[in-house]
Amino acid sequence: MMASLSSLRKRRLKERCFRWAGLLSVLLALLFLGGILGNIIYKGVPAFFRTEISSKLYPNLLNSHARYTADSLWIVASDDVDMYYKKGYADRLSPPQIQEIKTLKEGGQIRLAFNGGFFSHSDSREPELAGIWGGLVGSCLTLLITFMTAFPLGVGTALYLEEFAPKNQLTHWIEANINNLAAVPSILFGLLGLVLFIHFLGLPRPSALVGGLTLGLMSLPVIVVATRSALLSVPQTLKEAALGLGATPLQVLFHHVVPTALPGIMTGVILSLARALGETAPLLIIGMVAFIATPPAHFLSPATVLPVQIFNWSRSSEMGFIENTSGAILVLLLLLALLNGVAVLIRRRFEALK
Amino acid sequence: MNMTSKIDIKHLNLFYGDKQALFNVSLKIPAFQTTALIGPSGCGKSSFLRCLNRMNDIVPHARMEGKVLLDREDIYAPSVDVVELRTRVGMVFQKPNPFPRSIYENVAYGPRIHALFKRKSELDEIVEVSLKRAALWEEIKDRLHQPATRLSGGQQQRLCIARAIAVNPEVILMDEPCSALDPIATAKVEELIDELREKFTLIIVTHNLQQAARVSQQTAFFHSGYLVETGETGALFTMPQDEKTQGYITGRYG
Ligand SMILES: Nc1ncnc2c1ncn2[C@@H]1O[C@H](COP(=O)(O)OP(=O)(O)O)[C@@H](O)[C@H]1O
Ligand SMILES: [Mg+2]
Repeated sequence: MMASLSSLRKRRLKERCFRWAGLLSVLLALLFLGGILGNIIYKGVPAFFRTEISSKLYPNLLNSHARYTADSLWIVASDDVDMYYKKGYADRLSPPQIQEIKTLKEGGQIRLAFNGGFFSHSDSREPELAGIWGGLVGSCLTLLITFMTAFPLGVGTALYLEEFAPKNQLTHWIEANINNLAAVPSILFGLLGLVLFIHFLGLPRPSALVGGLTLGLMSLPVIVVATRSALLSVPQTLKEAALGLGATPLQVLFHHVVPTALPGIMTGVILSLARALGETAPLLIIGMVAFIATPPAHFLSPATVLPVQIFNWSRSSEMGFIENTSGAILVLLLLLALLNGVAVLIRRRFEALK
Repeated sequence: MNMTSKIDIKHLNLFYGDKQALFNVSLKIPAFQTTALIGPSGCGKSSFLRCLNRMNDIVPHARMEGKVLLDREDIYAPSVDVVELRTRVGMVFQKPNPFPRSIYENVAYGPRIHALFKRKSELDEIVEVSLKRAALWEEIKDRLHQPATRLSGGQQQRLCIARAIAVNPEVILMDEPCSALDPIATAKVEELIDELREKFTLIIVTHNLQQAARVSQQTAFFHSGYLVETGETGALFTMPQDEKTQGYITGRYG
């Protein structure tokens, strides 16, 4: 009796230790996450605002109607003024300039306003005029190509391997290699894309087409693996029920197996697209690093994508670009959260149907 | 037995890879009667049943020798269409396995894929008749479009029977249809099996000897892959010829 009591106490102690260790690790993870997110928000949110200066400087010199209209005319200030006005960095302004800004402030002729240009402009050499529109459009076009190539090919491959392919040495070997490919560093897919699409096929270099195809190569094994695991989780009893009614293998597949596996397949596809959306390294390899000041007009025109634009901005030493970098990262994070949210929604919807 | 036999199994051997699961089984299944397959776990009852609608085709490494004649036609002949065979020989499984769809769609699925109707009203009728025959209609007639997975286990199993009936098969194979059900649901399904005999030839695998005695006219006793004894149910239970059969039905093992 005594022995069992002390062993019980030991067991409880162990359980308590384990619980505390778990709680501690969760807290630690939350701390890091909160730190990173807080830092990015703190640095990035100011990028969504810009300093503007009223044009109503010399009312006496303007035409008589301007008195009424000029009030609404605000002009974007230079990035040096912007930095001084937002954060007080005066390094790049001369004392007379600072004096002028102070005068403007007293007259209410300088303000912080929503930075619409950050979303509607493309890249620029001037941080106060640079925006993410070009990167956003490029990312959308690229992702579209990725989806259109990797989705049908990946799902088709998985369906074939799981449902039709004979189970022999060859298919076993192919399966093992697909699993390995899913774990290959993304930069290698950039090298493959460079050789395959640019050197061999001669497609135009920094285009959404080549970027999308390269990211498609990268997503393909991930989609195959996700789809196969979704197909594997369809119960054998469901297939037998349909076969027992005289359904053909194709009918079993498309009436029962695919619909049942669809939430899993879609989740896998969306998560792999989210990964492609945030990918930089393979795109750098295929030469999507160029400075491009206009959004791509079509799939073959020179394009950049959001993460590459972030990469380029982050290499600049100008304060304005540092702020823009954080702002663009915030937008990218928001897009990723959106994609993940869609994946969760799909899962919920289908589970509600069951 | 002077009845015409619906299915005639001749010298059937079944292998899973190198392992032989059935040894030289020969059995005649009389039409419009219920045949019960009994025997200890793992003796090959399910394997045998699955040979009768070629369900073992989908098991990798499964290989069959011998003949299975349905109305004197070999169902393993190359000219036989498995899909058509399975509409003639339906199956109800051990665990109720309704599709994750509505009750109506479960029953309608078979008629749909085999285009057994022209108008929607005909399909409605097939669904209603099948559910009535499966003694489920009264319980669910006003929630036909609710998910089948919300039914109780016993109702689900009767739905699976209705689903099998809807394609109008000649033979229905049942693999321990009551093993996942409570006693009341079991009694309902047994009653149903007795009624179905009018229209269909039934083969039922069961662990429950009382059940075999209640619902079947012919019983076959399997033991480690061999068909040990076959006979009229009453006779087999009262006067078993083989000592293994006797041991099993008196509860010495199994
Ligand atoms: N798919 C399979 N692959 C390999 N062996 C199997 C398979 N299905 C059944 N068996 C084997 O065949 C024998 C008979 O099994 P089964 O027909 O399920 O018996 P029962 O239904 O009488 O319990 C068992 O030894 C079992 O392990
Ligand atoms: Mg069994």
